[in-house]
Amino acid sequence: MKQKSISLITIIVLFAAGAVMPAVLKQYHLNMLTEIIIFALYAVSYNLLLGYAGLLSFGHASFFGLAAFATAVSITHIPGLSIWNVILISMAVTTLAGFALGGLLLRHKGAYFALLTLAFNSILFAIATKWHSVTGGDDGLSITRPDLSLGFTTIPLASLTNFYYLTLVVLGLAILFCWYFTKTAMGQTVLLMRENEDRMKFLGYNTNISRLILFTFSGAVAGLAGIFYTFHFQFVSISAISGDMSTAVLLIAFVGGTKKFWGPILGAFVYIILQNYLSDITDRWPLVMGVIFVLMVLFVPGGLSDVITNFWHKFFGKKDDKDGKLTTAEEVRP
Amino acid sequence: MSDYLHIQNIHKDFSGLKVLTGVDFKVREKERHAVIGPNGAGKTTLFNIISGKFKPSSGAILFRGEDISGKSADVLNRHGLSRSFQITNVFQELSVFDNILSGVRSRYGLRYHFLRTPARNRVITEKTETIIEKVGLTGVKDQPASSLSYGQQRALEIGITLSTEPELILLDEPTAGMTREETEHAIKMIDQVTAGLTLIIIEHDMDVVFSLADTISVLHYGTILVCDAPDKIRCDQRVKDAYLGEG
Repeated sequence: MKQKSISLITIIVLFAAGAVMPAVLKQYHLNMLTEIIIFALYAVSYNLLLGYAGLLSFGHASFFGLAAFATAVSITHIPGLSIWNVILISMAVTTLAGFALGGLLLRHKGAYFALLTLAFNSILFAIATKWHSVTGGDDGLSITRPDLSLGFTTIPLASLTNFYYLTLVVLGLAILFCWYFTKTAMGQTVLLMRENEDRMKFLGYNTNISRLILFTFSGAVAGLAGIFYTFHFQFVSISAISGDMSTAVLLIAFVGGTKKFWGPILGAFVYIILQNYLSDITDRWPLVMGVIFVLMVLFVPGGLSDVITNFWHKFFGKKDDKDGKLTTAEEVRP
Repeated sequence: MSDYLHIQNIHKDFSGLKVLTGVDFKVREKERHAVIGPNGAGKTTLFNIISGKFKPSSGAILFRGEDISGKSADVLNRHGLSRSFQITNVFQELSVFDNILSGVRSRYGLRYHFLRTPARNRVITEKTETIIEKVGLTGVKDQPASSLSYGQQRALEIGITLSTEPELILLDEPTAGMTREETEHAIKMIDQVTAGLTLIIIEHDMDVVFSLADTISVLHYGTILVCDAPDKIRCDQRVKDAYLGEG
């Protein structure tokens, strides 16, 4: 009960903080915050595979990029398409792709699975590069963000502040749903997959179905992030579906920490802010990011969320924790 | 009345190695059936086949009249069959409660649901608590499985096996590696928790076998040497020669 109210307060505070940001931040920083939210959702979807299910994928950009392109292509080719229909079409494409790909790839586990995701990502990247008439190839596709039609009124999204609010609400709710998902039956089943796939079978779980559902869901969520990525930049290039984009999400999840739900969100903050400032200072910012990543994996494998959690327990949490355990033991006795 | 469980002429080859060469026996409903035999006789292989881990090379398994041989483990579990493992096979990083909950919610169909949270379902959590109490782990229910003592892990193994409310239970050496005291405690617990259910148990400890079982099958070199009541088995010359030897 106590835990529940803490969670609720945290959620309200975060949304409230997000809501006042346009009044506090300059346009440049608001732009950055929008990007952070997009990458936070992308990383959260990835961590459902990596942290929760223990599935290492090197091809998560397949879904992110596919949705990003589906968005740009549908806006380019279907004039007057509302923003909701753009989202609907792109999500449908990604979900179907996740389902089909999942069915193919999930026969394998561990390194084979990781390599297959990498291979498939490379195929999609090659298609995006060569299919010039649809994807624009190396030139990419430029679009204009459609306006937000709410039935009774239409809000222009050309304004950055308006688009920021849309991102905050839609992607914020998506992140919230992912968090809720980890508590649901399916979300808990994902943990069983990581812990002991063999034993699950003897408890009535079909492990292939479990993996397929998770893979499709995770892909669809990454797709939603990809849609907003195209909206945000009003442009999509092959980098959205590249191996770099797959590596980026791995890096974000690792830097933030895969053991906590909020780890990848923190990772997105760190990654986007670092990337912005480093690229101002030097053109060789990927090198610096790479070094940071190597150092993190070597010395802080649990990521920043792990460091923060340990710190918290050391200075504030320990006593509370002990008390908490005592009460449960007491409840048990009678 | 037809037989509850009929293992019919089961053969199993592992790339030429014949592990089971025609296993055949029947189990009545609510019977407590022990399978004994020397190491390498094929006891665990037999369990792996009945529980759906392996497919038999030939033969059939009739469960309530239906041939279940070759069905996958998850399907068999939903048919009411559950097994434990000789080597503790639990969800190490999850709490005792979540370990048991995983089976209970599966029984209630909450396996892949996207919206419902099993931890908030009163019926499911109460059922989970009951099973935890039955196997004597109430005091450690919030601890991760990995922090439990060996005896507690074995109890958890049985708790997980019970969690899907099976009617046919297969226990693979539940007391393996336990001290005498722990074994006695475990037998008492197994006796209680399997009351009214059909039990097939693999065991090396003859005290356990003779105190629990109504019927004993002796597996020897991949085939059933004899299948009879405990006191008959004790006196059987073939069993003495093959297995009980020293007695």
